[in-house]
Amino acid sequence: MRAFSLLATLAASATAALAATVQYDFSVDWVQANPDGDYDRTFIGINGEWPPPPIKCKIHDRVIVNVTNNLGNEPTALHFHGIFMNGTNAMDGPVGVTQCPVPPGSNIIYNFTVDQPGMYWYHSHFGGQYPDGLRAPFIVYDDDEPFAGQYDEDTYLTVSDYYHQSIPWLTANKFLTLINPTGAEPIPDAALFNDSQNIKFKVEPNKTYKIRIVNMGALVSQYIWFEDHDFKIVEVDGIYVEPTDASMIYITVAQRYTILLTTKNSTDKNYPMIASFDTDMMDTIPEDLVWNVTGWLTYDDNGDFPEPTLIDQYDFYDDFNLVPFEKEEPYEPDYSITVEVAMKNLGNGVNYAFFNDITYVAPKVPTLYTVMSSGNDSTDATIYGSNTHTYVLGYQEVVEIVLNNFDPGKHPFHLHGHTFQVIERSGASPDDATTLMYDPANPGTVNEYPMRRDTVYVRPNGYFVLRFKSDNPGVWFFHCHIEWHLAQGLALTLVEAPAEIQSNQAIPEDHYAACKAGGYAYEGNAAGNTVNLFDLKGEKLQPKPLPAGFTARGIVAMVFSCISAFVGMGCITWYGLSDLKTTEREVAEIIGEPLDDSDESK
Amino acid sequence: MTNSELFDVSVFFILFRETLEASIIISVLLAFLKQGVGSADEDLTIYRKLVRQVWFGALLGFSICLVLGGICVAAWYRLGKDVWSASEDIWEGVFCIMAGFIISYMGLAMLRLNKMKGKWRHKIADALAQTDGRNSISTFSSKYAMAILPFVTVLRESIEAIVFIGGVTLSASPKSVPLSVVAGILCGSALGYFIYQGGNHMRIQVFLIFSTCFLYLVAASLMSRGVWYFENYEWSQLVGDDVAEVGSGPGSYDIRRSVWHVNCCNPLFDGGWMIFNALFGWQNSATYGSVLMYNLYWIAVIIAVCVMLHKENPGYFPILFKYQMVASDEIDLTLTPSVAGSSARTSEESDLIVIDPSFSRYSDPNPYGMGSSSSHLLSPVDDNDIASGPSSATSLGTNRASLESIHDVDANSDPLGASVLASASY
Repeated sequence: MRAFSLLATLAASATAALAATVQYDFSVDWVQANPDGDYDRTFIGINGEWPPPPIKCKIHDRVIVNVTNNLGNEPTALHFHGIFMNGTNAMDGPVGVTQCPVPPGSNIIYNFTVDQPGMYWYHSHFGGQYPDGLRAPFIVYDDDEPFAGQYDEDTYLTVSDYYHQSIPWLTANKFLTLINPTGAEPIPDAALFNDSQNIKFKVEPNKTYKIRIVNMGALVSQYIWFEDHDFKIVEVDGIYVEPTDASMIYITVAQRYTILLTTKNSTDKNYPMIASFDTDMMDTIPEDLVWNVTGWLTYDDNGDFPEPTLIDQYDFYDDFNLVPFEKEEPYEPDYSITVEVAMKNLGNGVNYAFFNDITYVAPKVPTLYTVMSSGNDSTDATIYGSNTHTYVLGYQEVVEIVLNNFDPGKHPFHLHGHTFQVIERSGASPDDATTLMYDPANPGTVNEYPMRRDTVYVRPNGYFVLRFKSDNPGVWFFHCHIEWHLAQGLALTLVEAPAEIQSNQAIPEDHYAACKAGGYAYEGNAAGNTVNLFDLKGEKLQPKPLPAGFTARGIVAMVFSCISAFVGMGCITWYGLSDLKTTEREVAEIIGEPLDDSDESK
Repeated sequence: MTNSELFDVSVFFILFRETLEASIIISVLLAFLKQGVGSADEDLTIYRKLVRQVWFGALLGFSICLVLGGICVAAWYRLGKDVWSASEDIWEGVFCIMAGFIISYMGLAMLRLNKMKGKWRHKIADALAQTDGRNSISTFSSKYAMAILPFVTVLRESIEAIVFIGGVTLSASPKSVPLSVVAGILCGSALGYFIYQGGNHMRIQVFLIFSTCFLYLVAASLMSRGVWYFENYEWSQLVGDDVAEVGSGPGSYDIRRSVWHVNCCNPLFDGGWMIFNALFGWQNSATYGSVLMYNLYWIAVIIAVCVMLHKENPGYFPILFKYQMVASDEIDLTLTPSVAGSSARTSEESDLIVIDPSFSRYSDPNPYGMGSSSSHLLSPVDDNDIASGPSSATSLGTNRASLESIHDVDANSDPLGASVLASASY
């Protein structure tokens, strides 16, 4: 039990009035662990520990994370989810977007200031790596939070799905393979609370707890509730919101909710707290899967720990209606991007995910590095490659993303470097055959002060509309945060204000060194061509589409089959006609035989 | 087989074939009686009695087989379904290929209907000669020879049919069996009756050619489908339950083996294409294996036909002639027992047959018929009670003597004469 780590200390270091520098030295390596008690496996841990340690800092602090890859057999990279990285785009961390993979034995330093409060998390942004363990909370304390003084304890709670097998193995053998033509995501083996199960969350009566909740899973959203305890939502994805009463939240992977929970007056009873998979997001529900995880608000260590009560339905608070504490009316868009989400099979039989028929394939040169090495051509999206699905954005504009989901699944989309206003979000389409599409002429419900966050889900065959200000020059990834769907290419690239990136930012030498150490290209266009940036020969492309219907070989096969059938029938006809010629002779022969030869059959 | 819910081509064909064979025997017997006994006025009661015997024997055999068949089919389905359904695609494949072989095996023989007829005449005569010739035979079998023969025949053919049906239809819908069985029996009896009546021989032959071509189309599609099912099984083992989920779309097939794929017209789901599949082996998702099998099957059929033609008419294929001389004893595919005789024929004789196809025979309305035209030639047995009496032995002996002459006629390339004699030799 790791129950004790739950009770993190109260926002410490209240004495440090000035911005400090917080340094973490991370050695990324393999660690053996068994969080659900069922299966011993190797995880990617940090400094010999799993789960990895949370990063904690105060607002305006400088954070330096010195990462050494000691995995030996896999590259890695760290992304600081939700941190804006204003002016330090190179520290964002997604491989292929803002950096090269950090090869085994190499070292990279992430150095940035944090000017936003709240709950974040950091995780590997390379090759489906984070569900193998390399993910942990990133907590930014803020003395000036609007609900300061309204709580007694500041703590956090992580939820996660969990696989017994490693992600690369699952990807190669179960997921991105032609034997999985429907693109069915591997089903998690268990649910975890704080990377454990049956945790005892110690509480005292009559106190208010600030609980920062993050879903660090790979696939499923989770419903979270505390029996007989309502709470107030006060922050989502680092955005303070008007305190909102709720009894249950629905948290997709990568989302965060901070709640204030006030305990009861007595210590008579311990109360179950439950995180439960959104089973709609799973292709099948295996019989032996326990798809929820239980812990207890523990008033009394020696008391009973009752089984959770079954509930009739998930009555969760719809985050669309949250109102940010800092109120902003809907922005008026200057530039709009409309994308359609779909899952389809390509010519190799594998199921991929598409934005407008493009499945993301990482370029040879990270897109930020192309920006830095392309001079005035950086405003032309062509140089970033055909399969990076790049949009070049102007500086200080309002950008709108309209997303129509042609897939019958839920998808939590995340935008790096920004929070966005959720202008509209439709319900789920009543059936898979029709998709509800955004119609600007006929808008749906728009709240007066739209909710802002950095990860939002779209409902099955529904749509959403997001708007954000392009006030953060950098190369930002917009992608589905289901790790499987990212592997399927459900991502696009926003190159925001490339001229401003070139003039105000630089890529540190140690980042280039990681590229060189791993033999990765680090300048030129997406294909690594430095001479003619518009020559994309050799770039990485998606597989060819499935052949449609009859191709040349199909026609040849059909023609040959017809010919052989007709020739065959011709022969039979010939044989049949010759019966008239031959039969009488043979009949004569038969009759001519001795009569006792009678046991021949037809 | 996924022919359709209510009709199964293979079942139909098996029944058709077996009924035809049984009805030929009955018709030969009846013709025999008509010619041998029915023409003598004073024996009309005996004739009627014997005809009744024939029908009684046939119907008894048929009813026993109906009961047996019902029990067998029910048992197959009861006991078998669990076993087969576990790996349905494999069994579908096995049964498709089995059915393909059965049809292929039976099909070409049907085109030698006249040979079949001759053979049965030979056998019946043989049987009668034995019962008549030996006094030690019990009086029962002597007395009821006319019932025992059709009884045994019908029973034998129908047990054969049951075994074949059992093998072929395990994976078919039980609903498809009755209709196919009834249709097969009706068609087989109808053709048998047609033959008994001595219908236009050419027309019968054309009908047989058409139906045989059609049946080989079915067999080719079965063979091809068998391979397809094996591949589909392998694919579904790899992919799991999702295969059913994806319908006709991407992922319902193995792209590595695909020759063509259209996202429609799936014979597993669509009724019209189901029939197209049953008849011509249509697949909306053709694989290398299934297309190759289809073509190889036809090539095998072509080779088989050529070999059989060559056996029957050495010299049809001069290139094969040498091979024939050497290998004829090993590959005796024909029903002709006297291989030595046929292979000993010179090519000149064969050429004669080819050059002189004796089309005049085609105009003969009843060259092998059993109608009145040839009855007068049966005079040697005319006045004998076939079921009893020592004199019949001698009369058959005479018959045998007259048969000896056929070879001579044949050697002179006088097929017409031979045919008249052959059909009249009883």
